[in-house]
Amino acid sequence: MEEIAEAKKRKLVETQSFGFGFWKWAAAAVLFRLILIYFPISLNLASRPEVSTPVTSLRRLAEGYWLKKLSMSPYAGSMYHGSPLLLSILGPLTVKSFEGQSNHLLCRYPSRLPVPEKVLGVDFYCICSFAWIRWMMSNFQLISGCSLLSVVADSISAVLIRGIGQRLQIAYDQNLRWLGLAELVQGSLPSGDIAALVYLWNPFTILTCVGFNSTPIENMIVILSLYGACTGLVPLAAFGWVLASHLSLYPVFLVVPIVILLGCGVDGPPRKLFSQFSSKAGKDIGSDSHIGSIKTQATFCLLRPILLFTLWAAIWASYLLILCGISLKKTGGLLEMFERTYGFILTVKDLSPNIGVQWYLFAEVFEFFRDFFLLVCHANILFMILPLAIRLYNRPCFLAFVYMAISSILKSYPSVGDSALYLSLLALFTNELAEIQFSFFLFCGYVGVSLLSPVMHNLWIWRGTGNANFYFATAMAYACFQIVLVVESVSSMLNHDRRIRKLSSTEKAKVS
Amino acid sequence: MAETEAVKSNPRPIIRIGLFFMSHSLLVSVVCYVAGIFALLLLPILSKNTYISENALMPGSASPMLSNDDVSEANRFMNQISNLDSSFSRLRIEVPRLIAHHISAMGGEVNHHKFGPQLKKQHPLRFFTIHDPGTIQDNFTCSSLGTNTIGIIRAPRGDGKEAILLVTPYNSSKITTGEVLALGIGYSIFSLLSRVTWLAKDIIWLASDSRHGEYRAVTAWLREYHTPLFGGLGKLQDELCLEPSSFSEGKPLETIDARNLDTFRRAGTMAAALVVKVADTSSELEKDALSIYAEASNGQMPNLDLINIVNYLAVYGQGLRVRVEKMYSFLHSHWLKGLGGVFESLGKLAKSLNPEWNFDISIAEYIEGSATLASSLYNQALGVPTGSHGAFRDYQIDAITMEISHQMSSNYRNRQNELLTRSGRLIEGVIRSINNLLEKFHQSFFLYLLTSPNKFVSVGVYMIPFALLVAPLPVVAAALFSAASRISSEGQVATSTSVKNPSNKFRSWRWLAAAKTVFIVHFWGALMTLLPYLSGQIPEFTPATGVWLWIVLPVISLLLFTFPRRKGSQSSTAEWMYLKSVTIAAAFIGLSLMSVINFATAEIGAILLVPMCLMAAPLSIKIQSLRTIVQGACNLIFAFLGFPPLTFFVLKGAIQDLESTSIGEFWTWMVSLWEWSSATYVFICMVHLPCWALCAVTLLQRS
Repeated sequence: MEEIAEAKKRKLVETQSFGFGFWKWAAAAVLFRLILIYFPISLNLASRPEVSTPVTSLRRLAEGYWLKKLSMSPYAGSMYHGSPLLLSILGPLTVKSFEGQSNHLLCRYPSRLPVPEKVLGVDFYCICSFAWIRWMMSNFQLISGCSLLSVVADSISAVLIRGIGQRLQIAYDQNLRWLGLAELVQGSLPSGDIAALVYLWNPFTILTCVGFNSTPIENMIVILSLYGACTGLVPLAAFGWVLASHLSLYPVFLVVPIVILLGCGVDGPPRKLFSQFSSKAGKDIGSDSHIGSIKTQATFCLLRPILLFTLWAAIWASYLLILCGISLKKTGGLLEMFERTYGFILTVKDLSPNIGVQWYLFAEVFEFFRDFFLLVCHANILFMILPLAIRLYNRPCFLAFVYMAISSILKSYPSVGDSALYLSLLALFTNELAEIQFSFFLFCGYVGVSLLSPVMHNLWIWRGTGNANFYFATAMAYACFQIVLVVESVSSMLNHDRRIRKLSSTEKAKVS
Repeated sequence: MAETEAVKSNPRPIIRIGLFFMSHSLLVSVVCYVAGIFALLLLPILSKNTYISENALMPGSASPMLSNDDVSEANRFMNQISNLDSSFSRLRIEVPRLIAHHISAMGGEVNHHKFGPQLKKQHPLRFFTIHDPGTIQDNFTCSSLGTNTIGIIRAPRGDGKEAILLVTPYNSSKITTGEVLALGIGYSIFSLLSRVTWLAKDIIWLASDSRHGEYRAVTAWLREYHTPLFGGLGKLQDELCLEPSSFSEGKPLETIDARNLDTFRRAGTMAAALVVKVADTSSELEKDALSIYAEASNGQMPNLDLINIVNYLAVYGQGLRVRVEKMYSFLHSHWLKGLGGVFESLGKLAKSLNPEWNFDISIAEYIEGSATLASSLYNQALGVPTGSHGAFRDYQIDAITMEISHQMSSNYRNRQNELLTRSGRLIEGVIRSINNLLEKFHQSFFLYLLTSPNKFVSVGVYMIPFALLVAPLPVVAAALFSAASRISSEGQVATSTSVKNPSNKFRSWRWLAAAKTVFIVHFWGALMTLLPYLSGQIPEFTPATGVWLWIVLPVISLLLFTFPRRKGSQSSTAEWMYLKSVTIAAAFIGLSLMSVINFATAEIGAILLVPMCLMAAPLSIKIQSLRTIVQGACNLIFAFLGFPPLTFFVLKGAIQDLESTSIGEFWTWMVSLWEWSSATYVFICMVHLPCWALCAVTLLQRS
C-alpha cells in the first residue's frame, strides 16, 4: 500500500514532468516483478490462501493438465475448477518440468500438508501428484513461463487502464468545460497514469503476479472489456466480457456498465445538467455539436451499439462454448464443465480458509440450511445490481468499480488479486474522489489487515494456539474495510456530482 | 461545502463517541496509560489457581508401579556408564552403544541417529521457517558427529499412531553425574514401561547427545523424524563412519545388528515430550525440588494441562517442591514491597466491605508472584527457548523440561536411590496420565503467563493491560489527524478564498507525504534488520564494531531524514502533526501485530513505545508554560531511552549491574536473537527503531 502512497505523492509533486515519470515507474514495476520471479529462493506464495484460491491456483491447473494428458477428465479428483481453455493455453507452460524427472521424487512428500488438502481429504493419488507439483514449484526456472505470462498480463492491464483513464480524463475535462466550470479542470491529475501505477505498484498485484495463479490474466480480461466499452470497440468489449465471465463468473455483472458505456458514453456529471444548461446557455456557448449529442443522449441511449454488443456477445459465447466442447469432447463434456466450474463457485464446495466470509459460514451451517444460505449469499450480490445501476447510471466505469468491489467482498473464493483490480479502478477517479473521507483510516485498515491475516493464519494452522475464529476475524475486518471503502467512495462521488450541479447552477445564474 | 457541513453536524452515534474521545485525547491517553500500568501490576493478584482441565488425564488415579528392582537395575546401568573409559573418543562411541544394548535387552527397538553441528548461518528469507535445512557442511568429520540413541517400546494396546517422548540429554564429550542420573531415570522408566500392559501410546526414549548443544540434538532428530530424507546424511555416514562396529571389544552386542542400528525408526505423532534433567548442584532447600521450564521460541508455551499434571503429581504424589523461574532481583526490591503492602491493605479493606471479594494477598506472595511473572514475561519476550523442549513447539508438540535437584545430604548413596525412585515415579505418573489422553492437548490454555507453579494469568486477563496501553494510540492519531487537516484547511482558506482553488482540492490526501516518510523510515528499519546477515559475510567482525555500527547508522540516517526537508505548501505545524499521526498509526499496527505473535514483547514494547510516540512534539515550540517545558524534557528522556542500545544497557543496569558489561554485549544479544529467529528482533528493528527515528525526526522539526 505504501508504494501507492509513494506513487501518488510523486504525482502530487511532479505533475509537470509526468510523461517520463510514468514510463520510468512502470518499467521499474516490471523489473521488480522480474527480480521477484527469478529470485533464487522460492517465496512459496502459491500456497498462501490470500494469494491463490481453488479456482485460480495454477498448481491445480497443472494437476488438471496432467489428468488431461492421461486422457482423463481434467475435473476428476476435484482439483481443477477452471476453464478448459486456460488448461490448453497455460497447461503446456506448466508441463515442461514433468519431463525428465525420476520417479522417486514422488515419494518425497512433505509431512506437513497445507490445510486445504487436509480439509478436503484428497485421495492419495492426488496427494502424490500434488507433491510432485510442489517439488516442481521449488524449481524456479520452470515456473518462470507462467510467471512471465503474468508479468506480461499485468503490463497489458496497466496500459489498458491508462487508456481508460485518458479517455475518462478527456471526458471529464470536456464535461466541465461545457458546464462552464473550466477552473475546476486546473490542477486535476492524470488519473489514467495514477491508476496504472496504482495497479502496477500495488503489493496485492505484485503478490498475485508472483504467486503463480491465473488472477492476473482474469484481471487483464476484465480490464480489456472495460477498455473496449470505453473506446466503443463493441467486439472487443463483448469478447472481454464473455471471456471474463467464462473464466471467473462474477464479471458477468459487468454487462450493465458495459451496455451503459456503449450506449450512453463514458462517465460524466448527471445528464440532466446538460439538458438544462444547453437549453438556456446553449446559444451563447455556441454551435458545438457535442452538446447536441449529449442532449440527445440525456433522453435516450443509442440502441445500435447495444444490439451490436448482444450480437457479438452471442457470437463469442457460442464460439467459446464450441471450443470448450471440443476440448472436453472425449471426457465429460460441457455439462461437467458447468458443474465443476460455475457449480463449484456457486455451491461453495471447497471450505478451505480464505480471506472471504463464506467459507466459515458454510463450514458452520447445518446441512439442511445450506441451500437456503447459498441462495441468500448470492442474492446479496444480485440485489445490489439494479439499485446501484439506477443511481450511478451516469458513471458506468465507477459502477464497474462498485460491482467488482462488491463481488470481491461477497464472492466465494476471493483473493487479494480482486482487490488489486478494484483499487486500480478506484484510482481512475482520483479527481472526482479528491474529497473522499476516511482515506487514512482505510489505508491503515488495509495495511493492518493484510499484515494481520497471515499472522492469524500461522497462529491457527502452524502454531495450533489459535483457532479458525482468529483468522475469520481478520476476514471480517477485511470485508468491513472494503464495505467502508465502497460506501465512502460512492457517497463522495455523489457529493462530487452534487457540487458540480450547484456550481453549474450558480454559473447558469451568472450567464442568465 | 455547506451541505457537507450539514451532514457533519449530526453524525452517527458511533462517530459521535469517537469525536468525544478525540476531543479529550490528552485525558484519555493519560488515563489509559496509567490504568494499563496499574493493571499490569495487578496481574499477580488477578492470577487464578491452575486446574486440570482435561478430564481424561486423571493424574494420580493409579498407584505408581516403579519398584526398587527397577531402581537397582538403573543403578547398575549408571555404574556401567560411570566406569566407562572417559577418554573423549571412546565415550562418544561407548555410551550410545551401551544404551542401545540395554534397550534391546529390555525388548525395545533401538537405533542411532547421527547429526552434525548446527550451521549458524541464518538467511533473511528463511527467518520464520524452521531453521536447519538438513544440510551438513562438507568438512564434517566422524568425530564431530553427535549420536542420539533412540529406544522405542511399542504399545501393547495402541495402534502405533501416537507416542510419548522422553528425552534425557547427556554430553558425550564430558558426562556429568547429573546427566548419568538423568540417564538412570530414563533407564528405570523405560525398563518399567517395557513390562506394563496399560500402554496405549508408544514410548520413545531419546538419549540425546548434547555435545553440540541440547537443542541442536533434539532439533536434528525431530527434523529427521518429520521430514524423511532419502540418500541424506544417514547413508553418508554408513559409508564413512563405520569404525564404531569394528572394535566392539568383547561387548555383548552381538544381539543387535549394526545395520539395523542405522535405520531410522519412528512411532506415531507425539502427544507430549518430557525432557528430564538432573541438576549437578544441589538445591539449597530442605526438600528435593523440581524446576519446570516451558518457554519455547517466540513466547510459545505448552498446553497448561501438561504443567498442571507435572505440578500436581510432583506436589501431591512425590512431595517435591516445584519451582518455576523467578527474577531474583525483584525479590528484594523496595518499591515492590511497598506496592505489595498497599495491595494487601486494599485487599483487606475490600474483604471487610464484602467478604466475597477475595483479593487479599500477602506482601511476600505478591513479591513472589511479581518476580515469577516478570521472569515469565522476560523469557517469553526474549523469544529464545529456555531448553531443548523449545524444539518441539515447532512441530506443535507440547513439551517441558523437568530439572530435578536433590537436597544437600551427606548420605549420598541412599539419597540417590530415593531420588531415582521419586523422580521415576513422578515421570511414570505423568506418562500414565498422558497415556490416557484421547486427543491431543487442547482443553487448557496455550496463551498464559505463570505467576507461580500453580497460578496463572490467562490471555483474557493479560490482554487488558495491553489493550489499555495501546488504546490511546488510535485516539491520538485520529485527533492529530483531524487537527492537522483543520489547520491546513484554515491556512488554505486564509490564503485563497476560492473553493475552486486546485491546491485546495486534494485536502483529504495530504497525509500521503507523511506516509511516504514513514514508509521510507520503516524500509530503512527493514534494512537495519539485515545487519547481522551482512556482518556474517565480513570476516573479523567484532561485537564492538557492531554496536558502533548500530549507533552510527541511525544517527546518520536521522540527519538524512531531517535535513533535506523541502518547504511544502502546507504549514509546518500541519506537517509534523500529520507525520506524528501516521507514526502513531504505524506504531499501533506494529504493536497489535506483535501482540498476536509474541504477547510479552508487545507488552514490554508498549510500555516504552506508547509514551514516546504520544509525547513527541517539535522541540522548537516556544516555551510558553510549564507544560511545554515538561513535555520537552520528557521528550528528550524518551528519545534517549528509546534508542535500542541505550534501552538495553539501562534495563540491564536496572536488573543486574553494569560492572561486568562490555559495549559489545548489545550486538551479541541482537545476533543471538537473530540466530534464534526471535520475533522480538524483528519487532526491535522494524517497529521500535523506526518509531524511535520518526519521533526523533518530529522532535527536530521546526514547528
